Amino acid sequence: MSSDQDHLKETDTEARFDFKQEQRAAVTSEKGLTEEVIRMISEDKDEPEWMLERRLRALKQYHAMPMPTDWPGQPDLSELDVEEIVPYIRPDVDKREGVDDWDELPDDIKDTFEKLGIPEAERKALSGVGAQYESEIVYQNMQDQWEEKGVIFMNMDQAVKDHPEIVKEHFMTTCVPPSDNKFAALHGAVWSGGSFVYVPEDVTVEMPVQAYFRMNSEGMGQFEHTLIVAEPGSEVHYIEGCSAPKYGKHNLHSGGVEVFVKEDAHVQYSTVQNWSKNTFNLNTKRAIVEENGTMEWVSGSMGSKATMLYPCSILKGRGATDTHITIAFAGEGQDIDTGAKVYHNAPNTKSTIESKSISKDGGRTNYRGLVHIADGAENSSTAVECDALMFDNESTSDTMPYMEIEESKVDVAHEATVGKIGDEDIFYLQSRGLDDDDAKKMIVAGFIEPITEELPIEYAVELNRLIELEMEGSLG
Amino acid sequence: MSTTQVHANLTEAQVREISGDLEEPEWLLETRLEALAALDDLDMPKVIRTPGRDWTNLHDLDFESFVDPLNWAEKKDQVGPDEIDVLSWAEAVDEHEDLLKEHFGSIVDPQENYLTALSTALFSTGTVIYVPEGVDAEDVTIRTEMNSQSLFNYTLVVTEESSSVTILERQSTGDEGEVRDGEERASGTVPREGGERYYSGIVEIVAGENSYVQYGSLQNLSEDSYNFTCKRGVTDTYATIDWIEGNIGTKLTKTETSTELAGDSSETQIVGAFYGHNDQHFDLDVKVWHRAEHTTADLVTRGVTDDVSRSVYEGVQDVGRDAWDTSSYQRENTLMLSDESEADASPKLIINNHDTEASHSATVGQIDEEDLLYMTSRGVSPRDARNMLVEGFFVPVLEEIAVEELRDDLEDLVQERLRE
Repeated sequence: MSSDQDHLKETDTEARFDFKQEQRAAVTSEKGLTEEVIRMISEDKDEPEWMLERRLRALKQYHAMPMPTDWPGQPDLSELDVEEIVPYIRPDVDKREGVDDWDELPDDIKDTFEKLGIPEAERKALSGVGAQYESEIVYQNMQDQWEEKGVIFMNMDQAVKDHPEIVKEHFMTTCVPPSDNKFAALHGAVWSGGSFVYVPEDVTVEMPVQAYFRMNSEGMGQFEHTLIVAEPGSEVHYIEGCSAPKYGKHNLHSGGVEVFVKEDAHVQYSTVQNWSKNTFNLNTKRAIVEENGTMEWVSGSMGSKATMLYPCSILKGRGATDTHITIAFAGEGQDIDTGAKVYHNAPNTKSTIESKSISKDGGRTNYRGLVHIADGAENSSTAVECDALMFDNESTSDTMPYMEIEESKVDVAHEATVGKIGDEDIFYLQSRGLDDDDAKKMIVAGFIEPITEELPIEYAVELNRLIELEMEGSLG
Repeated sequence: MSTTQVHANLTEAQVREISGDLEEPEWLLETRLEALAALDDLDMPKVIRTPGRDWTNLHDLDFESFVDPLNWAEKKDQVGPDEIDVLSWAEAVDEHEDLLKEHFGSIVDPQENYLTALSTALFSTGTVIYVPEGVDAEDVTIRTEMNSQSLFNYTLVVTEESSSVTILERQSTGDEGEVRDGEERASGTVPREGGERYYSGIVEIVAGENSYVQYGSLQNLSEDSYNFTCKRGVTDTYATIDWIEGNIGTKLTKTETSTELAGDSSETQIVGAFYGHNDQHFDLDVKVWHRAEHTTADLVTRGVTDDVSRSVYEGVQDVGRDAWDTSSYQRENTLMLSDESEADASPKLIINNHDTEASHSATVGQIDEEDLLYMTSRGVSPRDARNMLVEGFFVPVLEEIAVEELRDDLEDLVQERLRE
């Protein structure tokens, strides 16, 4: 239990908050992303030297890399000024501590929670108030039964200290190296918080490992890192809950997720995200899947001003399997650019991608996907299916799949459809006594069912509810 | 205007000479010179791009070194029925200047990219087809046999209201130096070392109200040729443009075939077939822009890659904000016959109007082992079985080709290749 106790101590003491506040002042006085800022973060976390070195190397790579501007039809990132954003890490901490009164929360966030019917304790978690407490409870309960089996589930910062050998080997090395893209490099430099999950050989974790809203517990959670290592024959379902709405201006969320699925292991990573509408959500999520391993990505992308997110599986071992199920919802002023990437690098590998999107009130959704079948990955198969539902003529929906096929003994299929809500369907439902809104909601609920049925009930209910609220245009 | 020419191989004087030989009006010469001057600032045409990667590398080719502007040679047949005009470029300049002035460069911007500008500055041969109101014309044939190191070709098709025309174009490479004497300017060129050649073609189609244009093209240039073509049409109300695209030859082909559905209730179909073997590279770009109401598009492409060939396919269905009640469909299927070949595909949907029914699909696969087994168990040799299955694979595309002659020719070329 030592890791847990340390974790509690480390994060819950007044001293730490005070310390952070001091640091905040120092950081905000610094302009931009500098070595000093990185050293400060690392020192603040009392990190070992090797992690600081990795951060500094990532920072160099970040500065050396250009912003991605050459993607066809990509979201507009011109309003994003990273140099302005990073110092904002600290004000979030400040706010979290400051807003211990529910009434001090911004109205739109309060409204959301009220409409979601979320109890006040949970609302506080959602808003970042007391998230710490809530997440600790979650850990505590689960830790007991797992620990006997050797399962590790803890805060990523703590894992650096407690399990340096595992972290050192896996953290931003082979899966998501900082050199992967500019935001991966940024993440490598400023990352903070997140989850570490380690499942020993042949252990099955029967219930989902949940990190619900916990990234706010660190305050700097806009750059949270998740590392999941599933040893051979193990099985785990990790759920990252609704990553709390943020309410600073010019927010950037640039998370990193690395999943190692060893031989015959099975990992499901589910996430339902609902960002505030001023957040740039630019993430790198990747899994390396060994022989006969299975990786399943389930994600609901809600909120944000612009999202660029393409969870990726590298099917490295023979017989490895990938499943992607995603849903995106874009309302007014939102540009949700998501998709899936799969590299078939071994024979007999298989991937299935199912993508659904809804655009409304001028929102844009885009499916951007890449399926690569390497030379030698014989008998591999992939099936991609994208469906887009558009509500009105201000909205936009694009589909941009890329398929690179270097191997002939393969089966590759891509299909996409776009359509409006069927007038006939609505008419049918109305003739059964539903009003127009309810009819639409029902059709959408049916449309997203393939996603919701993959999620535990509470998440499914929440996703449904979030989409209903978006459709009513009643979310701030 | 005056420009300082910095290109190794290209000069303003050459452009003036080409234009002068064709007795072109001043405005056309100006357009050419402006295109030449713009070369330095223009980019290569867009190719399929994933972040950080171009799938066709046009920058590796030194296009200017391929070009020998004043030495061009071809054998050309361009015939059509009497009631329409099928004119060589020189004739068209003479007889239809107004038509040229109105439409030349109106659909494919001469300065759209480096290769369109190069083509505009240097084209020396071409065909203009004018179909007057109410006339139905079939069997317009354009056969171009390229007999020089480089050849730049321009084609303009204008159909007036309620007319129709079927045009079949073929491009091939003749024996070096073999030149037909005739009114065309022609001088035998010594092909450059390695026999590499460059063929560039621009096609613009202006389909008038309620007119119908069927434009079939069969490219079978020699496999040491590089080919850039840009074929684009614009429809008026109720007009239809159907394209048939057969690509068999060349070492590298970069081609765009596209329609802008600008008139209400206009339609387009783009049917494509390709067959790559050896180290051929096909970059096939198929596009439709829905810009008006009740427009319909159907894009169907099937191709085969064998040996170490590579196909790169991008199909775009772009539905504009004002394109109410759109129907848009796209299918692309690639059959890979060898382990070393590659096939890349990107069917894109860009939808800005929700009153749309759109779908696209793409598949890549190999010959079905069970089919093969079934046939060989019936006594067919494996080789014949494979050939029959490849032929069968092309059937859905061949069925879409309404022009019998083109269908037969394409079938023949496929069979010829299978026999190799």
